[in-house]
Amino acid sequence: MSRLTAGDEARDVRLEKGSAELDGRTVRFREIRRGGALVALEIGGEVHPVRAVREGDRVFVACDGSTYEMRRGPAIAPGASRRGSAGEHGAGLLAPMPGRVRKTLVRRGERIAKGDVVLILEAMKMEHAIRAPRDGIVTKLDHHDGDLVEAGTVLAEIAADGT
Amino acid sequence: MIRRLLVANRGEIAVRVFRTAREMGIETVAVYAEDDASAVHSGRADRAVSLGAGPVSETYLSIPRILEAARASGADAVHPGYGFLSESPELARAVEERGLSWVGPPPSSIEEMADKLRARARMRAAGVPVVPGSDENARDDEALSSAAKEIGFPVLVKAAAGGGGKGMSRVEAASELPGALAEGRRIAAAAFGDDRVYLEKLLGRARHVEFQIFADRHGNTVHLFERECSVQRRHQKIVEETPSPALDAALRRAMGEAAVAAARSVEYVGAGTIEFLLDSERRFYFLEMNTRLQVEHPITEATLGLDLVRWQLEVAGGAALPVTWRSEGLAPRGHAIEMRLYAEDPVDFLPRSGSLEEWIEPAGPGVRVDSGFERGSVVGVEYDPLLAKLVVHAADRPAAIERALRALSEWVVLGVETNRPLLEAALCSAEFRSGDYATDLVARLPRRESGAPSDAAWIAAALSFAAKAAGTAAVAGPADPWGAANGWRS
Repeated sequence: MSRLTAGDEARDVRLEKGSAELDGRTVRFREIRRGGALVALEIGGEVHPVRAVREGDRVFVACDGSTYEMRRGPAIAPGASRRGSAGEHGAGLLAPMPGRVRKTLVRRGERIAKGDVVLILEAMKMEHAIRAPRDGIVTKLDHHDGDLVEAGTVLAEIAADGT
Repeated sequence: MIRRLLVANRGEIAVRVFRTAREMGIETVAVYAEDDASAVHSGRADRAVSLGAGPVSETYLSIPRILEAARASGADAVHPGYGFLSESPELARAVEERGLSWVGPPPSSIEEMADKLRARARMRAAGVPVVPGSDENARDDEALSSAAKEIGFPVLVKAAAGGGGKGMSRVEAASELPGALAEGRRIAAAAFGDDRVYLEKLLGRARHVEFQIFADRHGNTVHLFERECSVQRRHQKIVEETPSPALDAALRRAMGEAAVAAARSVEYVGAGTIEFLLDSERRFYFLEMNTRLQVEHPITEATLGLDLVRWQLEVAGGAALPVTWRSEGLAPRGHAIEMRLYAEDPVDFLPRSGSLEEWIEPAGPGVRVDSGFERGSVVGVEYDPLLAKLVVHAADRPAAIERALRALSEWVVLGVETNRPLLEAALCSAEFRSGDYATDLVARLPRRESGAPSDAAWIAAALSFAAKAAGTAAVAGPADPWGAANGWRS
């Protein structure tokens, strides 16, 4: 038995030979493979073209014209989605996308106000102003202008004023 | 005639130009940055020349390195593609000074149109309507503020040397204007080395309709009909179609004539595009001219049954435009739609990077894919996130929409998130299907909840996790995965 998740969706899945239990419901299937690779699943007489690629703890699945990123293990807690503009993580300000730090506009120890531009991140053809989510003091600022950063990298940490 | 053509670009457009050159018996030369040596385009030419290492400014954007590559490879012509140096009068001039053919307009035409303020003045003089806005005399905050009051809010702040939406912002009220001007100047100075900005009235519910124009060195200038480009996000197009559902014969004729007049006013040569805004009262205004081949040129090729790159190369070699073009003998057939597949989040439009673990392109009747990627390609952060363009052609608009959705559903891209769900949502929307849509279409799309995966998707994922070997085990793994499944099932 294993718990699989795709975004907010989750299923307990148990594989048997020629069938699977999805949240306790039995689904019979037949694998269609080519050169060892799974290319379709037949379920109840219907053929579903499918491609799946595993990368560590993730499996990318293309099926019936849609694409999913599936994981093993507990569902990602609501609100922890990586989507959104400049994300926050604790006191940290996260890079919303991979890119290059174009210009840092604050210094460590500086007192800044909510909405102040902390730095300019450039990705492909766009510049993005990364703004402070609240008033506070910049306690961490590890990147230099020109640095490449991955999505989710902590760009800065801002401690609430007076703490 | 051109004998050996260097394409100063990468990705799908380099591949696209190589294809036509090869059909014409022209040898092809690719250039590549060291960090991009495995890119698809460099393996699709007869030879490939390294531009060396370094940031883009020292590779695909470096005029000296492009010129050195042309010299080293013995190329006698340079095609710039779009983006990068395609609208650089400096490169055009340097290429011509070395006695090579520049597959593009004269440097003076590029300069006239690159300065948006000067272009607006020239269009007014040529009798082509322009969007109400500030003129060349409005430089400081005070003059621009009074211009804004005259035009009426909301207004757009734009960079005089700009393009592609860079440095552009929307201003709702006078109090926001000084900040927006400062920000616009900062971005413009950084991006273009020219901090001049100007204002344009923000037209309510406008459509973006452009005309393909073509001119030779023998005094012939024609238009090759329109492309409707109103489906945009972040001021960048994602879906284009032709014909435009917004035009009738009279409006098409008036806009086509204005487009030809605009091109003639800068003594244009080659392929170019005049962009217009069309407001809800069906008034049209010159927006800008793109002095190069356009990303969305294939939909024009589809409905007219011709090859625009071939004619770029013919004109650069001195040929005159075909007689049928000059005698209004061209008539579009059917309907064509282009969809741009970007590596980006379909909801917030932020670029994505990664490795394309699986890549299967759509095919079949009326389907063309122009792509610069393959399975295994790496999508990096340094370059444009455009992965490929899907172009469909069918007998009429409803059939083209159904064909587009069919082809999109065939596209398998694993490993990097793409905007395919957004493309599907736009094409499925009642507004797009009605033909009565404007540049706010994407913003008005209903928020889509991605549906739960099907049983087949869950089972496929489970089978992948069950396979023993890591990596692409489920794709290339053992024929009998059950032998390897025990560890997972326990």
